[in-house]
Amino acid sequence: MAAAAAPGPRAPGGDGGGGSSSSSSSLSMERIQSLTDLSDLEAAYGRLCEEEKVVQEELDALLEQQSTIENKMVALHRMGPNLQLIEGDAQQLAGMITFTCNLAENVSSKVRQLDLAKNRLYQAIQRADDILDLKFCMDGVQTALRNEDYEQAAAHIHRYLSLDKSVIELSRQGKEGGIIDANLKLLQEAEQRLKTIVAEKFDMAMKQGDLPQVERFFKIFPLLGLHEEGLSKFSEYLCKQVANKAEENLLLVMGTDMSDRRAAVIFADTLTLLFEGIARIVETHQPIVETYYGPGRLYTLIKHLQVECDRQVEKVVDNFIKQRDYHRQFQQVQNSMIRSSSTEKIEPRELDPILTEVTLMNARSELYLRFIKRRIVSDFEVGDSMASEEVKQEHQKYLDKLLNNCLLSRTMQELIGYYITMEEYFMRETVNKAVAMDSYEKGQLTSSMVDDVFYIVKKCIGRALSSSSIDCLCAMINHSTTELESDFREVLYNKLKQGFPATTFQDFQRGVTSAVSIMHSSLQQGKFDTKGIESTDEAKQSFLVTLNNVEVCSENIMTLKKTLESDCTKLLSQGFGGEQAQAKIDSCLSDMAAVSNKFRDLLQEGLNELNSTAIKPQVKPWINLFLSVSHNIEEEEFSDYEANDPWVQQFIVNLEQQMTEFKAGLSPVIYDTLTGLMTSLIAIELEKVLLKSTFSRLGGLQFDKELRSLIAYLTTVTTWTIRDKFARLSQMATILNLERVTEILDYWGPNSGPLTWRLTPAEVRQVLALRIDFRSEDIKRLRL
Amino acid sequence: MSMEDYDFLFKIVLIGNAGVGKTCLVRRFTQGLFPPGQGATIGVDFMIKTVEINGEKVKLQIWDTAGQERFRSITQSYYRSANALILTYDITCEESFRCLPEWLREIEQYASNKVITVLVGNKIDLADKREVSQQRAAEFSEAQDMYYLETSAKESDNVEKLFLDLACRLISEARQNTLVNNVASPLPGEGKSISYLTCCNFN
Repeated sequence: MAAAAAPGPRAPGGDGGGGSSSSSSSLSMERIQSLTDLSDLEAAYGRLCEEEKVVQEELDALLEQQSTIENKMVALHRMGPNLQLIEGDAQQLAGMITFTCNLAENVSSKVRQLDLAKNRLYQAIQRADDILDLKFCMDGVQTALRNEDYEQAAAHIHRYLSLDKSVIELSRQGKEGGIIDANLKLLQEAEQRLKTIVAEKFDMAMKQGDLPQVERFFKIFPLLGLHEEGLSKFSEYLCKQVANKAEENLLLVMGTDMSDRRAAVIFADTLTLLFEGIARIVETHQPIVETYYGPGRLYTLIKHLQVECDRQVEKVVDNFIKQRDYHRQFQQVQNSMIRSSSTEKIEPRELDPILTEVTLMNARSELYLRFIKRRIVSDFEVGDSMASEEVKQEHQKYLDKLLNNCLLSRTMQELIGYYITMEEYFMRETVNKAVAMDSYEKGQLTSSMVDDVFYIVKKCIGRALSSSSIDCLCAMINHSTTELESDFREVLYNKLKQGFPATTFQDFQRGVTSAVSIMHSSLQQGKFDTKGIESTDEAKQSFLVTLNNVEVCSENIMTLKKTLESDCTKLLSQGFGGEQAQAKIDSCLSDMAAVSNKFRDLLQEGLNELNSTAIKPQVKPWINLFLSVSHNIEEEEFSDYEANDPWVQQFIVNLEQQMTEFKAGLSPVIYDTLTGLMTSLIAIELEKVLLKSTFSRLGGLQFDKELRSLIAYLTTVTTWTIRDKFARLSQMATILNLERVTEILDYWGPNSGPLTWRLTPAEVRQVLALRIDFRSEDIKRLRL
Repeated sequence: MSMEDYDFLFKIVLIGNAGVGKTCLVRRFTQGLFPPGQGATIGVDFMIKTVEINGEKVKLQIWDTAGQERFRSITQSYYRSANALILTYDITCEESFRCLPEWLREIEQYASNKVITVLVGNKIDLADKREVSQQRAAEFSEAQDMYYLETSAKESDNVEKLFLDLACRLISEARQNTLVNNVASPLPGEGKSISYLTCCNFN
């Protein structure tokens, strides 16, 4: 902004920012002297004037501040003496503090010295005790070993091991160091000897199966610092017991008679025995481990036991697979699922027992795994109460690894993997069968397949649930959803697609009975199935039954969902499933519930179809008859109509007749919806013919009467409020009943009161024009 | 459930060989974690994350499946209801790439025909161990008409992008679908239509 307007050389540093009050001017003297041009000079002069003004203003401002600054100076001067006083006081205070501090230091140093002396004294006593203990241990071990009192000996060694190493060093340096050295050597030798003896004795006891002796030596290991070795040796002993028992059981299984009550689940039973055996062992021996080895050690014991458990599970499962032909059956199922050819399809019923057995096996395994998990977790909890978060997480990791990676888990996951495929096949094939064997009994609303299909689906999901595996359950819920949504809904959809046959009823009425024309119309609408429906009646019934079936399906799905929800809650409350189990189940179940809506949609479509193919073609001609009844009538015709109803009574009779068929064949809910559709249809069609008619004053009255009878009848057959559907027609009747054109204004606009007009002004004029006695000019003149 | 506050709900299922990093991708996206030494997934894991895209709340239900063979029959049951599948392989593992056609066969067999499939090459942080070139994967994905992306769950590369882009595509598909459906009411019995939306407000 301060760029010089003049060309010419610039003075060094001359173009600094203008406006700074410290620099005298933005234009240097030299620069001014070098100016030659008048306009430049004027410009320079102008700028200098401006600067002067600024400087003047600044000076004024500074001068204004002068008095305040002076006041402040006076105040500062007054404070001077006070400050001197304060300084003196402060120095005095500092002196006192220093004195007190020295005094305190003096006193406390004496206390500290005392304390130190006391501590050293304690240490000295402790050491003396330790040295005495050491001596006592040395003597004691020898005696105890000689007396085969291993517990005593181990106790001495334990004491020795827990002594401070420096104590031992110290006692060596004493006067009798030589003797102690020798004794120490003896002690160490005794320790080694004891270790070997205990190990040997333990092995011997194990060989002889002498439980008291086994337990006796098991308790000694931790005293010698051999926790891991003790646990591993003890587990070895326990594993041997597990193995023996399991072998016995397996032999029994192989010899089981096929007629035995439990024959079908004998492998599940064998696994159960194995798991129960191990659980009992854990139950019995946990207290000893806890007491003598401390908390947090159960994991090690169970880890060893799990190895044996896995070995035995493998044997049982191998036998199961062989004897039950599990893999071959799976292969066969898979083949028939890939190629839908019917060649040697496996009979679903044959799979039934094996599927049940597998789920039972898995349920037992889950129960067992949950048991050991709970035990280990609570044992770790006690042991880790003081431990850091890292240690806890480490332990959790060990546990997860043990549970997830053990052969038992993997084997069961494999079996369940096969199971799901086979169960899916079982479900699909059985559903197909139920559909093929579908039958309908007179008097029933639905046919057999709906109940059958839901029984099957429920059974399959129930079986998956009984495996206690959440993933297995969810997979079967998913498969059921698929089965219902695509396959089964397809079946019902195809049935509905065959349509409700164009009825012969109206043809009878018209006296047209030509079979050719019926055939013709059916063919045109493509309703003639190649399979050939035996009779129209049967086709009609099949359609209505299918509608009922669809509705029941939609309801059954919701019921099934609710039942499963409460079943799952039970399972989860027992502690099965991981943290996300609930969320997983919820998600799968809500997918299933969505299928219910799809059935609802299908029902709606079927009803629309029924309405448009069965009801509309009949109702329309009946309504059209209205046109043949003149409403341009005088007193005489009006009273004649009174005696011989020209239209509405017959119309109601016809409707009644037609709906009886549906009322008997449809469930109340569907029938209700259908009558709802029908009333809408009537309202729309009647409005059409009304607008094609002409009315006299009495004709309007006649129509009003007719409409009232119709509404009264329809109200009796539906539970819906039909007033709403007929609101437009009622309003039209009101208009047709007016005395004068302008009377409409008593009901219109601000005078409408509680009445809400459903007619537009144009429509009102249109209806008014139907009255032959109303002049069109009057109607045009209306302000609506 | 349907009363929850979201505009769209989509199901995304991750599939692919064991150990390619499916769980890590999901953890990175949903929790911002990269847990080292992740154990193999058992069955299926389930996570939910709600994201906002152009002011609309999109709830993503992410199903993280186990890659191991023995869980195949469980994971297959989730294909059909999936709106999108993330087919994952490990760029440092030729084998995981070679198995892709097999996975595609599974998708063909079990998934809805409207499903969106994304091919993801994970572990690009291990560039020096790469066995599957980007070009090969790109060609493959093009031939199969799949969207393709390389990610690193460890370095958090492209993970957010993967899920958010997918959500965007799902939204536009869902919009198109409802448009089509409004014009001509869907034929029942096709049986493949997906329940995209439980409570969306279009328009």
